[in-house]
Amino acid sequence: MVTKSDTEPVQIEIFPRKFLKPATAECLLGEIYRAGGLVRIMVQGPNLPKAVPYGPGKGLPVEENRDLLLKLGDQALELRVKVGRIWLELESEEYIEGVKAACERTLPFPFDIKRKRLFHTKPTVSDYAKYGSKVEDERILGLVDPKGKKERDLAMLSDSRGD
Amino acid sequence: MAYKPQYYPGNTSIGANRRKHMSGDLEKLRDISDADIVAIMGHRAPGADYPSTHPPLAEMGEPDCPVRQLVTPTPGAAAGDRIRYSQFTDSMYNAPAIPYWRSYWGAINCRGCDPGTLSGRQIIEARERDIEEYTKVQMDSEMTDPALATMRGCTVHGHSLRLDEDGMMFDMLARTELGSDGNVYYAKDQVGIPLDKKINAGKPMSEAETAKRTTIFRCDNISFGGPCTAESRSFDEGLVALHHMWERRSKWGFRPE
Repeated sequence: MVTKSDTEPVQIEIFPRKFLKPATAECLLGEIYRAGGLVRIMVQGPNLPKAVPYGPGKGLPVEENRDLLLKLGDQALELRVKVGRIWLELESEEYIEGVKAACERTLPFPFDIKRKRLFHTKPTVSDYAKYGSKVEDERILGLVDPKGKKERDLAMLSDSRGD
Repeated sequence: MAYKPQYYPGNTSIGANRRKHMSGDLEKLRDISDADIVAIMGHRAPGADYPSTHPPLAEMGEPDCPVRQLVTPTPGAAAGDRIRYSQFTDSMYNAPAIPYWRSYWGAINCRGCDPGTLSGRQIIEARERDIEEYTKVQMDSEMTDPALATMRGCTVHGHSLRLDEDGMMFDMLARTELGSDGNVYYAKDQVGIPLDKKINAGKPMSEAETAKRTTIFRCDNISFGGPCTAESRSFDEGLVALHHMWERRSKWGFRPE
Protein backbone atom coordinates (compact mmCIF):
# COMPACT_ATOMS: atom_id res chain seq x y z
CA MET A 1 0.00 0.00 0.00
CA VAL A 2 1.50 3.30 -1.03
CA THR A 3 -0.63 6.34 -1.62
CA LYS A 4 -4.07 7.83 -1.37
CA SER A 5 -5.40 9.52 -4.44
CA ASP A 6 -8.39 11.54 -5.62
CA THR A 7 -8.52 9.84 -9.03
CA GLU A 8 -10.55 6.71 -9.76
CA PRO A 9 -8.38 3.67 -8.99
CA VAL A 10 -8.19 0.71 -11.37
CA GLN A 11 -7.47 -2.92 -10.57
CA ILE A 12 -5.54 -5.23 -12.86
CA GLU A 13 -4.35 -8.80 -12.77
CA ILE A 14 -1.00 -9.91 -14.18
CA PHE A 15 -1.16 -13.58 -15.12
CA PRO A 16 2.17 -14.92 -16.40
CA ARG A 17 2.21 -18.08 -18.52
CA LYS A 18 4.69 -19.66 -16.09
CA PHE A 19 5.38 -19.49 -12.38
CA LEU A 20 7.95 -16.87 -11.44
CA LYS A 21 11.18 -17.57 -9.66
CA PRO A 22 11.64 -15.41 -6.56
CA ALA A 23 14.30 -13.33 -8.35
CA THR A 24 12.04 -12.70 -11.35
CA ALA A 25 9.11 -11.83 -9.10
CA GLU A 26 11.24 -9.38 -7.14
CA CYS A 27 12.56 -7.81 -10.31
CA LEU A 28 9.05 -7.46 -11.77
CA LEU A 29 7.55 -5.99 -8.62
CA GLY A 30 10.49 -3.60 -8.32
CA GLU A 31 9.87 -2.36 -11.85
CA ILE A 32 6.15 -1.96 -11.17
CA TYR A 33 6.88 -0.09 -7.95
CA ARG A 34 9.25 2.29 -9.73
CA ALA A 35 6.66 2.91 -12.46
CA GLY A 36 4.51 4.53 -9.76
CA GLY A 37 0.80 4.87 -9.15
CA LEU A 38 0.57 1.87 -6.85
CA VAL A 39 -2.15 1.63 -4.25
CA ARG A 40 -2.11 -2.07 -3.43
CA ILE A 41 -0.22 -5.20 -4.51
CA MET A 42 -1.12 -8.79 -3.80
CA VAL A 43 0.92 -11.80 -4.91
CA GLN A 44 -0.73 -15.20 -5.08
CA GLY A 45 0.36 -18.73 -5.92
CA PRO A 46 0.71 -22.23 -4.53
CA ASN A 47 2.09 -22.60 -1.04
CA LEU A 48 5.79 -23.32 -0.46
CA PRO A 49 5.85 -25.21 2.83
CA LYS A 50 8.82 -24.86 5.14
CA ALA A 51 8.58 -28.53 6.14
CA VAL A 52 7.24 -31.72 4.59
CA PRO A 53 3.53 -31.67 5.53
CA TYR A 54 2.57 -35.33 5.04
CA GLY A 55 3.98 -38.83 4.84
CA PRO A 56 7.01 -40.59 6.28
CA GLY A 57 9.13 -37.45 5.92
CA LYS A 58 6.65 -35.25 7.80
CA GLY A 59 8.39 -32.41 9.60
CA LEU A 60 11.65 -32.56 7.64
CA PRO A 61 12.71 -29.07 6.55
CA VAL A 62 12.34 -28.11 2.89
CA GLU A 63 15.50 -26.03 2.64
CA GLU A 64 14.67 -24.76 -0.86
CA ASN A 65 11.61 -22.95 0.51
CA ARG A 66 13.35 -21.28 3.43
CA ASP A 67 14.74 -17.76 3.56
CA LEU A 68 12.98 -16.63 0.40
CA LEU A 69 12.76 -12.89 0.72
CA LEU A 70 10.84 -10.49 -1.46
CA LYS A 71 12.44 -7.08 -1.21
CA LEU A 72 10.38 -4.20 -2.44
CA GLY A 73 11.10 -0.54 -1.77
CA ASP A 74 12.07 -0.16 1.85
CA GLN A 75 10.40 -3.39 2.92
CA ALA A 76 11.18 -7.09 2.80
CA LEU A 77 8.55 -9.81 3.06
CA GLU A 78 9.07 -13.50 3.51
CA LEU A 79 7.93 -15.14 0.27
CA ARG A 80 5.71 -18.08 1.15
CA VAL A 81 4.19 -18.81 -2.26
CA LYS A 82 5.38 -19.51 -5.78
CA VAL A 83 4.34 -16.33 -7.53
CA GLY A 84 1.77 -17.13 -10.20
CA ARG A 85 -0.58 -14.18 -10.15
CA ILE A 86 -0.23 -10.53 -9.19
CA TRP A 87 -3.14 -8.24 -8.37
CA LEU A 88 -2.55 -4.53 -8.51
CA GLU A 89 -4.61 -1.51 -7.65
CA LEU A 90 -3.35 1.57 -9.43
CA GLU A 91 -4.22 5.19 -8.81
CA SER A 92 -5.62 5.62 -12.30
CA GLU A 93 -5.81 4.10 -15.73
CA GLU A 94 -2.77 5.99 -17.00
CA TYR A 95 -0.42 3.76 -15.01
CA ILE A 96 -1.48 0.55 -16.76
CA GLU A 97 0.90 1.15 -19.67
CA GLY A 98 3.80 1.46 -17.22
CA VAL A 99 2.91 -1.90 -15.68
CA LYS A 100 2.66 -3.48 -19.10
CA ALA A 101 6.07 -2.11 -20.06
CA ALA A 102 7.54 -3.41 -16.79
CA CYS A 103 6.15 -6.89 -17.55
CA GLU A 104 7.54 -6.83 -21.07
CA ARG A 105 10.97 -5.86 -19.78
CA THR A 106 11.04 -8.46 -17.02
CA LEU A 107 9.13 -11.55 -18.13
CA PRO A 108 10.80 -13.74 -20.74
CA PHE A 109 7.52 -15.51 -21.56
CA PRO A 110 3.95 -14.46 -22.43
CA PHE A 111 1.63 -12.95 -19.86
CA ASP A 112 -1.93 -11.63 -19.68
CA ILE A 113 -3.02 -8.38 -18.11
CA LYS A 114 -6.70 -8.08 -17.37
CA ARG A 115 -8.56 -5.20 -15.89
CA LYS A 116 -11.31 -6.26 -13.52
CA ARG A 117 -12.72 -5.91 -10.02
CA LEU A 118 -10.36 -7.93 -7.84
CA PHE A 119 -10.38 -6.79 -4.22
CA HIS A 120 -13.61 -6.94 -2.30
CA THR A 121 -15.01 -3.66 -1.10
CA LYS A 122 -17.06 -4.68 1.92
CA PRO A 123 -15.75 -6.61 4.93
CA THR A 124 -16.57 -10.32 4.76
CA VAL A 125 -17.28 -12.60 7.71
CA SER A 126 -13.59 -13.57 7.67
CA ASP A 127 -12.65 -9.90 7.81
CA TYR A 128 -15.03 -9.40 10.71
CA ALA A 129 -13.42 -12.30 12.56
CA LYS A 130 -9.97 -10.95 11.74
CA TYR A 131 -10.29 -7.21 12.19
CA GLY A 132 -13.49 -6.72 14.21
CA SER A 133 -16.49 -4.56 13.31
CA LYS A 134 -14.43 -1.56 12.30
CA VAL A 135 -11.67 -1.82 9.73
CA GLU A 136 -9.19 1.01 10.25
CA ASP A 137 -7.97 1.15 6.66
CA GLU A 138 -10.30 -0.37 4.07
CA ARG A 139 -7.42 -0.85 1.63
CA ILE A 140 -6.45 -3.84 3.73
CA LEU A 141 -9.56 -5.74 2.59
CA GLY A 142 -8.72 -8.64 0.30
CA LEU A 143 -4.98 -8.35 0.81
CA VAL A 144 -4.40 -11.08 3.36
CA ASP A 145 -5.60 -14.65 3.23
CA PRO A 146 -8.26 -15.45 5.87
CA LYS A 147 -5.79 -17.72 7.65
CA GLY A 148 -2.79 -15.44 6.99
CA LYS A 149 -1.20 -13.22 9.59
CA LYS A 150 -1.35 -9.51 8.91
CA GLU A 151 1.96 -8.84 10.66
CA ARG A 152 3.74 -11.50 8.62
CA ASP A 153 2.10 -11.21 5.20
CA LEU A 154 1.46 -7.50 4.83
CA ALA A 155 3.92 -4.66 4.34
CA MET A 156 3.32 -0.93 4.08
CA LEU A 157 5.54 0.66 1.47
CA SER A 158 6.69 4.23 1.49
CA ASP A 159 5.89 6.57 -1.38
CA SER A 160 9.53 7.18 -2.27
CA ARG A 161 9.55 4.42 -5.00
CA GLY A 162 13.07 3.54 -4.01
CA ASP A 163 14.47 6.83 -5.42
CA MET B 1 -6.07 -66.02 -37.51
CA ALA B 2 -4.15 -64.92 -34.46
CA TYR B 3 -5.98 -62.46 -32.25
CA LYS B 4 -4.51 -58.97 -32.34
CA PRO B 5 -5.65 -56.75 -29.48
CA GLN B 6 -7.18 -53.45 -30.49
CA TYR B 7 -6.31 -51.22 -27.60
CA TYR B 8 -7.59 -47.81 -28.54
CA PRO B 9 -9.24 -46.32 -31.63
CA GLY B 10 -8.33 -43.30 -33.66
CA ASN B 11 -5.85 -41.95 -36.17
CA THR B 12 -4.41 -39.13 -34.09
CA SER B 13 -0.86 -39.26 -32.69
CA ILE B 14 -2.47 -39.31 -29.23
CA GLY B 15 -4.42 -42.43 -30.15
CA ALA B 16 -1.25 -44.08 -31.45
CA ASN B 17 0.64 -43.15 -28.26
CA ARG B 18 -2.19 -44.50 -26.11
CA ARG B 19 -2.04 -47.78 -28.02
CA LYS B 20 1.71 -47.87 -27.45
CA HIS B 21 1.34 -47.38 -23.71
CA MET B 22 -1.37 -49.99 -23.41
CA SER B 23 0.48 -52.57 -25.46
CA GLY B 24 3.72 -52.03 -23.52
CA ASP B 25 5.61 -51.52 -26.77
CA LEU B 26 7.51 -48.56 -25.36
CA GLU B 27 10.66 -46.89 -26.53
CA LYS B 28 13.46 -46.91 -23.98
CA LEU B 29 14.98 -43.46 -23.75
CA ARG B 30 17.34 -43.64 -20.77
CA ASP B 31 18.86 -46.07 -18.34
CA ILE B 32 18.56 -45.28 -14.67
CA SER B 33 20.31 -47.87 -12.51
CA ASP B 34 18.33 -50.26 -10.30
CA ALA B 35 20.01 -48.83 -7.20
CA ASP B 36 18.93 -45.30 -8.15
CA ILE B 37 15.33 -46.41 -8.71
CA VAL B 38 15.33 -48.11 -5.30
CA ALA B 39 16.75 -44.97 -3.67
CA ILE B 40 14.10 -42.72 -5.24
CA MET B 41 11.33 -45.10 -4.18
CA GLY B 42 12.70 -44.98 -0.64
CA HIS B 43 11.27 -48.26 0.67
CA ARG B 44 14.59 -49.97 1.36
CA ALA B 45 18.27 -49.06 1.18
CA PRO B 46 19.81 -49.98 -2.19
CA GLY B 47 21.55 -53.33 -1.87
CA ALA B 48 19.71 -54.30 1.32
CA ASP B 49 17.82 -57.59 1.57
CA TYR B 50 14.15 -57.64 0.75
CA PRO B 51 12.12 -57.80 3.96
CA SER B 52 9.37 -60.41 3.71
CA THR B 53 5.88 -60.83 5.07
CA HIS B 54 5.74 -64.59 4.66
CA PRO B 55 8.16 -67.44 3.89
CA PRO B 56 8.84 -68.23 0.22
CA LEU B 57 5.88 -70.00 -1.36
CA ALA B 58 8.01 -73.08 -2.10
CA GLU B 59 8.57 -73.55 1.64
CA MET B 60 5.00 -72.84 2.66
CA GLY B 61 3.34 -75.92 1.25
CA GLU B 62 0.46 -74.41 -0.65
CA PRO B 63 -2.98 -76.06 -0.69
CA ASP B 64 -4.02 -78.14 -3.67
CA CYS B 65 -5.64 -75.45 -5.82
CA PRO B 66 -6.12 -75.55 -9.62
CA VAL B 67 -5.73 -71.78 -9.93
CA ARG B 68 -2.43 -71.81 -8.05
CA GLN B 69 -1.27 -74.58 -10.35
CA LEU B 70 -2.22 -72.56 -13.40
CA VAL B 71 -0.77 -69.21 -12.35
CA THR B 72 2.97 -68.89 -11.87
CA PRO B 73 3.67 -66.53 -8.97
CA THR B 74 5.63 -63.35 -9.70
CA PRO B 75 9.20 -63.29 -8.31
CA GLY B 76 8.09 -61.00 -5.48
CA ALA B 77 5.15 -63.20 -4.53
CA ALA B 78 7.28 -66.35 -4.71
CA ALA B 79 9.81 -64.80 -2.34
CA GLY B 80 7.17 -63.42 0.07
CA ASP B 81 8.05 -59.73 -0.40
CA ARG B 82 6.18 -56.86 1.18
CA ILE B 83 3.67 -54.88 -0.88
CA ARG B 84 5.19 -51.53 -1.82
CA TYR B 85 4.24 -48.72 -4.18
CA SER B 86 5.45 -46.09 -6.58
CA GLN B 87 3.36 -43.10 -7.48
CA PHE B 88 3.75 -40.65 -10.32
CA THR B 89 2.40 -37.20 -11.00
CA ASP B 90 2.10 -36.18 -14.64
CA SER B 91 1.74 -32.60 -15.73
CA MET B 92 -1.22 -31.61 -17.87
CA TYR B 93 1.23 -29.67 -20.05
CA ASN B 94 1.74 -32.56 -22.46
CA ALA B 95 3.32 -35.06 -20.09
CA PRO B 96 3.85 -38.35 -21.96
CA ALA B 97 1.62 -40.40 -19.65
CA ILE B 98 -1.52 -39.67 -17.69
CA PRO B 99 -2.98 -41.56 -14.72
CA TYR B 100 -5.44 -43.61 -16.78
CA TRP B 101 -2.81 -44.73 -19.22
CA ARG B 102 -0.29 -45.60 -16.51
CA SER B 103 -3.08 -47.74 -15.04
CA TYR B 104 -3.93 -49.36 -18.37
CA TRP B 105 -0.23 -50.05 -18.88
CA GLY B 106 0.04 -51.57 -15.40
CA ALA B 107 -3.14 -53.62 -15.59
CA ILE B 108 -2.32 -55.03 -19.02
CA ASN B 109 1.44 -55.49 -18.80
CA CYS B 110 2.39 -55.96 -15.14
CA ARG B 111 1.49 -59.14 -13.33
CA GLY B 112 0.39 -59.01 -9.71
CA CYS B 113 0.01 -55.25 -9.50
CA ASP B 114 -2.77 -53.02 -8.22
CA PRO B 115 -2.98 -49.74 -10.13
CA GLY B 116 -4.81 -46.85 -8.51
CA THR B 117 -6.00 -44.01 -10.72
CA LEU B 118 -6.58 -40.55 -9.33
CA SER B 119 -7.05 -37.21 -11.02
CA GLY B 120 -3.54 -35.90 -10.48
CA ARG B 121 -1.47 -38.93 -9.57
CA GLN B 122 -1.27 -42.61 -10.24
CA ILE B 123 -0.08 -45.27 -7.87
CA ILE B 124 0.90 -48.88 -8.57
CA GLU B 125 1.22 -51.32 -5.71
CA ALA B 126 2.91 -54.69 -6.02
CA ARG B 127 5.39 -56.98 -4.31
CA GLU B 128 8.61 -55.09 -3.66
CA ARG B 129 10.91 -56.62 -6.27
CA ASP B 130 8.08 -56.55 -8.82
CA ILE B 131 7.24 -52.89 -8.28
CA GLU B 132 10.91 -51.98 -8.57
CA GLU B 133 11.00 -53.64 -11.98
CA TYR B 134 7.76 -51.95 -13.08
CA THR B 135 8.95 -48.57 -11.85
CA LYS B 136 12.19 -48.90 -13.77
CA VAL B 137 10.26 -49.52 -16.97
CA GLN B 138 8.23 -46.39 -16.37
CA MET B 139 11.25 -44.22 -15.53
CA ASP B 140 13.40 -45.48 -18.40
CA SER B 141 10.82 -45.41 -21.15
CA GLU B 142 8.93 -42.78 -23.06
CA MET B 143 6.20 -42.92 -20.40
CA THR B 144 8.22 -40.44 -18.38
CA ASP B 145 9.66 -37.04 -19.14
CA PRO B 146 11.69 -36.15 -16.04
CA ALA B 147 10.60 -32.50 -16.18
CA LEU B 148 6.87 -33.21 -16.56
CA ALA B 149 6.51 -36.43 -14.57
CA THR B 150 7.88 -36.96 -11.10
CA MET B 151 7.73 -39.84 -8.66
CA ARG B 152 5.78 -38.35 -5.76
CA GLY B 153 4.61 -40.53 -2.91
CA CYS B 154 2.98 -37.64 -1.06
CA THR B 155 2.33 -33.91 -1.52
CA VAL B 156 1.70 -34.49 -5.21
CA HIS B 157 0.24 -31.04 -5.97
CA GLY B 158 1.38 -29.69 -9.32
CA HIS B 159 -0.10 -31.65 -12.21
CA SER B 160 -2.64 -28.99 -13.16
CA LEU B 161 -0.48 -25.96 -12.42
CA ARG B 162 1.52 -23.86 -14.81
CA LEU B 163 5.12 -24.92 -15.25
CA ASP B 164 8.05 -23.20 -13.60
CA GLU B 165 10.21 -20.78 -15.56
CA ASP B 166 12.68 -23.56 -16.35
CA GLY B 167 9.93 -25.84 -17.70
CA MET B 168 9.74 -28.09 -14.62
CA MET B 169 6.43 -29.11 -13.08
CA PHE B 170 5.77 -27.31 -9.79
CA ASP B 171 6.75 -29.32 -6.73
CA MET B 172 6.34 -27.78 -3.33
CA LEU B 173 8.86 -30.23 -1.83
CA ALA B 174 11.47 -29.53 -4.53
CA ARG B 175 12.19 -33.22 -5.11
CA THR B 176 13.63 -32.63 -8.56
CA GLU B 177 15.76 -29.86 -9.95
CA LEU B 178 17.14 -28.90 -13.33
CA GLY B 179 20.93 -29.15 -13.18
CA SER B 180 23.30 -26.77 -14.92
CA ASP B 181 24.17 -29.60 -17.35
CA GLY B 182 20.56 -29.71 -18.57
CA ASN B 183 19.69 -32.94 -16.77
CA VAL B 184 16.93 -33.34 -14.20
CA TYR B 185 18.14 -34.56 -10.81
CA TYR B 186 16.22 -36.14 -7.97
CA ALA B 187 17.50 -34.52 -4.76
CA LYS B 188 14.89 -36.25 -2.59
CA ASP B 189 13.05 -39.54 -2.63
CA GLN B 190 9.38 -39.79 -3.52
CA VAL B 191 8.22 -38.70 -0.05
CA GLY B 192 10.59 -35.72 0.24
CA ILE B 193 13.42 -37.26 2.30
CA PRO B 194 16.80 -35.97 1.02
CA LEU B 195 18.91 -38.51 -0.87
CA ASP B 196 22.59 -39.15 -0.08
CA LYS B 197 23.49 -38.12 -3.61
CA LYS B 198 21.54 -36.51 -6.41
CA ILE B 199 20.25 -38.95 -9.00
CA ASN B 200 20.33 -38.11 -12.68
CA ALA B 201 16.92 -38.80 -14.24
CA GLY B 202 17.93 -37.73 -17.74
CA LYS B 203 17.33 -34.76 -19.98
CA PRO B 204 13.87 -33.24 -20.29
CA MET B 205 12.15 -33.53 -23.64
CA SER B 206 11.75 -30.48 -25.84
CA GLU B 207 8.30 -28.95 -26.25
CA ALA B 208 8.02 -30.41 -29.75
CA GLU B 209 8.99 -33.83 -28.40
CA THR B 210 6.42 -33.77 -25.58
CA ALA B 211 3.73 -32.65 -28.03
CA LYS B 212 4.62 -35.64 -30.18
CA ARG B 213 4.80 -38.22 -27.38
CA THR B 214 1.94 -37.12 -25.14
CA THR B 215 -1.21 -39.15 -24.47
CA ILE B 216 -3.15 -36.01 -23.54
CA PHE B 217 -5.68 -34.49 -25.88
CA ARG B 218 -5.34 -30.72 -25.71
CA CYS B 219 -6.94 -28.10 -27.91
CA ASP B 220 -3.52 -26.41 -28.30
CA ASN B 221 -1.98 -29.65 -29.55
CA ILE B 222 -4.23 -32.45 -30.85
CA SER B 223 -7.87 -32.10 -29.88
CA PHE B 224 -10.13 -34.99 -28.96
CA GLY B 225 -12.00 -34.98 -32.25
CA GLY B 226 -8.77 -34.83 -34.22
CA PRO B 227 -7.77 -32.01 -36.58
CA CYS B 228 -10.86 -30.33 -37.97
CA THR B 229 -10.03 -28.51 -41.20
CA ALA B 230 -11.86 -27.60 -44.39
CA GLU B 231 -10.76 -30.94 -45.83
CA SER B 232 -11.49 -33.01 -42.75
CA ARG B 233 -14.82 -32.22 -41.14
CA SER B 234 -15.44 -35.55 -39.43
CA PHE B 235 -14.44 -36.45 -35.90
CA ASP B 236 -11.63 -38.84 -35.15
CA GLU B 237 -12.64 -42.43 -34.43
CA GLY B 238 -11.53 -42.00 -30.81
CA LEU B 239 -14.32 -39.51 -30.17
CA VAL B 240 -16.85 -41.46 -32.23
CA ALA B 241 -16.10 -44.58 -30.17
CA LEU B 242 -16.50 -42.62 -26.95
CA HIS B 243 -19.88 -41.25 -28.10
CA HIS B 244 -20.90 -44.78 -29.01
CA MET B 245 -19.99 -46.07 -25.54
CA TRP B 246 -21.86 -43.28 -23.78
CA GLU B 247 -24.92 -43.79 -25.94
CA ARG B 248 -24.97 -47.53 -25.28
CA ARG B 249 -24.43 -47.26 -21.55
CA SER B 250 -27.13 -44.58 -21.30
CA LYS B 251 -29.64 -46.71 -23.22
CA TRP B 252 -28.65 -49.80 -21.29
CA GLY B 253 -29.21 -47.97 -18.02
CA PHE B 254 -32.67 -46.76 -19.10
CA ARG B 255 -35.30 -48.87 -17.36
CA PRO B 256 -38.73 -47.23 -17.64
CA GLU B 257 -40.79 -49.61 -15.45
